[in-house]
Amino acid sequence: MTEYALEVEGLTKSFGGRPAVSNVSFRAARGEITGFLGPNGAGKTTTLRMALGVITPDSGTARLFGQAPDAAGMDRVGFLPEERGVYRKMTAEAVIVFFARLKGVPAGEARKRARTYLERFGLADAARKKIKELSKGMAQKVQIIAAIVHEPDFIILDEPFSGLDPVNQALLEQVIRDQAAAGRTVLFSTHVMEHAERLCDRIILMARGEKVFDGTVEEALSRVPRQILLGAPSGSDLEAVLGGMGALERLGEEEGSVLWRLSLAPGADAQGVLRALVDAGVRLTRFEPRRAHLHDAFVALVGEDAARPEPVEA
Amino acid sequence: MRAILLIARREYLSYVGTWGFWLSLLAVPVFAAIGAGVPALIEGSQPVRYFAVIDETGRGLDEMIREAQNAARREAVRERLEMMARGAGGDAAAEAALEAFDADPDGLSGLPGAAAAAGLDGAQDALASGARSHMVSAPGATLDDLRPYLTGEATVTTPEGERPLFAVFVLRPHETRTVGIDYLSANLTSTGLRSEITGYVRDYLRRDALAARGLSPDEAGALLTLSPEVTTLDARPGAAADAEVTAADRAPFVIAVVMAFVLWMAVFSVANMLLTSLIEEKGGKIIEVLLSTARFQDILIGKLAGVAAVSFTLFAVWGLVGAGITVFAAGALAGIDPRLLDILAAIADPGLLLAALVFFIAGYLMFGAIFLALGSLCDTLQDAQTLMGPVIWMLILPLLFLFFSLEASDSLFVRAASWVPLWTPFLMMARLPSEPPLWELLGSGALMIITTVLVLWGAAIVFRQGALRQADADTFKRWFRFGRKG
Repeated sequence: MTEYALEVEGLTKSFGGRPAVSNVSFRAARGEITGFLGPNGAGKTTTLRMALGVITPDSGTARLFGQAPDAAGMDRVGFLPEERGVYRKMTAEAVIVFFARLKGVPAGEARKRARTYLERFGLADAARKKIKELSKGMAQKVQIIAAIVHEPDFIILDEPFSGLDPVNQALLEQVIRDQAAAGRTVLFSTHVMEHAERLCDRIILMARGEKVFDGTVEEALSRVPRQILLGAPSGSDLEAVLGGMGALERLGEEEGSVLWRLSLAPGADAQGVLRALVDAGVRLTRFEPRRAHLHDAFVALVGEDAARPEPVEA
Repeated sequence: MRAILLIARREYLSYVGTWGFWLSLLAVPVFAAIGAGVPALIEGSQPVRYFAVIDETGRGLDEMIREAQNAARREAVRERLEMMARGAGGDAAAEAALEAFDADPDGLSGLPGAAAAAGLDGAQDALASGARSHMVSAPGATLDDLRPYLTGEATVTTPEGERPLFAVFVLRPHETRTVGIDYLSANLTSTGLRSEITGYVRDYLRRDALAARGLSPDEAGALLTLSPEVTTLDARPGAAADAEVTAADRAPFVIAVVMAFVLWMAVFSVANMLLTSLIEEKGGKIIEVLLSTARFQDILIGKLAGVAAVSFTLFAVWGLVGAGITVFAAGALAGIDPRLLDILAAIADPGLLLAALVFFIAGYLMFGAIFLALGSLCDTLQDAQTLMGPVIWMLILPLLFLFFSLEASDSLFVRAASWVPLWTPFLMMARLPSEPPLWELLGSGALMIITTVLVLWGAAIVFRQGALRQADADTFKRWFRFGRKG
């Protein structure tokens, strides 16, 4: 048995001569939460579709549980696509049972699981209500349940947080953690880096159809220089004091002080910077060592331009 | 297979659970009954038409017309009595009723006795009703005098009270034709009364001319009814040499065309169901969720099968209701006219029904798959309408040919058109009773099956592209623009 739920190798796809995905390779290890990150238009959805055999790549291969995607493999996958909806005239329970049965769960067991999951997601009272009678957030929770009700070995969620309010985003984060704790592999795509930062064992960063990073969150963050926000009266010669400790960038003025951002040079640390400023007699109005985020790592890896979403064609 | 069945089941239940389905289920028998009853309803609701005759010929033609109308009315009542008596009590009752009725050979005074003899005591009024015109005395002598009565400005006294005149007949001597008729009416379209009265005058003139040549009234009457007896014999292979063509023999030709129309309506409405359902799924972004759980082909076939099951349910219910009514009514029909039973048997021809089933499946698969493919390219019905134009025309054209096929199913044009695979289900269905050559049946059938397979294959490709939003209505339009430039 392979240790990877998904292995893609050299996936490439163009639409109308325009490359959407170029030579993307990665693996999703069993039992791990993998984040598939990038701005809109980075090629995430196309890559996931190719990985599941929904569309055929121009070149490259995808293997689910060590084999080419087939019906048996797909039954072990729970997929929540980015473009999603449910039958508005069906009840919440009927929708979940329908998708569970499509994945091979017997009717009686599907109904039992539907009720259990609806209760777990706080939707027990909505079981018999039609989707059109539910709020958007409730309907989205029904969709998420429908994707995992057959208790798949591998869960792929394409932009699962979009459209959810903060409360339900937190609930979904917990669901993802629970699924991983139950031994399932989770791969989710998002353009909101904070979710990935909190959840993922491993991340894959995509930009303009190409993979730009594949590793742990810590590895990604290590690519970003640590930063300190500094505030000092105008006239303070910070460049002279901090020379060699990093790059200074003037951000603007705030209540009579000038704001600076210092990107630390390799080997420099916040303690050393503070000591140098105090020794030089600089009257600090602000000193905030800043923790780097995945977005910073992403910008550092691909540049500001590539980190922006692809413009949507009119 | 699991996915196909589940998708088909969901599709089926989604329709069966709607009001629209139940309305469709009821609508066909209700509208069929209304359609069948419309001529009788129009006839029954037509007001009695009062008319006057001004006879300037001095031949007593006004009195002749009154007597002829009474005689015709008596004959109509007699026929109605015979039919109702036979339906109620068989041949013996009909014979007894007619004997009692004919006790008064000129009027209707025998009707009460006749109704009692047939056990139709309560039906006297119904039997006697039906006079749609009534002659009244002319309220004036000149056209100017009569015009207000024809336009409703003045009325005449009738058994129903004061009423306007529908028409006035002015009969005057004519130099070459003996009698000329001026017909005055404010109604310019209805010709029934004019034809009736003209017919009475024509018969009178002919009888009069024959009598002037020395013939007795009976001899004149016999001459007037002279007409060749036409016997239509069935010359088709397998028919006996002296087999006469009956209404039952003609019934399959009519029924086949009717079935082709029903087939057309079924295919059109069911394909529309598929289109709207897919657009709803695409608009609601459900299709992508389905695609992540089932293969394209399974979704396509599942949807086609589900909606087909809906139409088969409709057909089955209508068929069972129809069969039930037929069985129930068969006894009564046999009493009224045994030939009706033969016509019923001809309609229930298993061969025709089986052919209808095969043609329905092929037609449904072809048009259903096309509609599904086009639906997958559209997010709204407006988008769909722009793409549907050519397909709708492909569907409407065979409808036009069907009108001609009843009179000339062997015309070269209809024969050639029935080879167009998208039209084969409708036109070949209509041609079946005229027994087209086997090579035509097999050839057009094979072409239809090959086309069905090709359409399904192509539809699956378009469906795949459309469902994943890799192609849309604009892509299609660009193709055509490219084609025009090229």
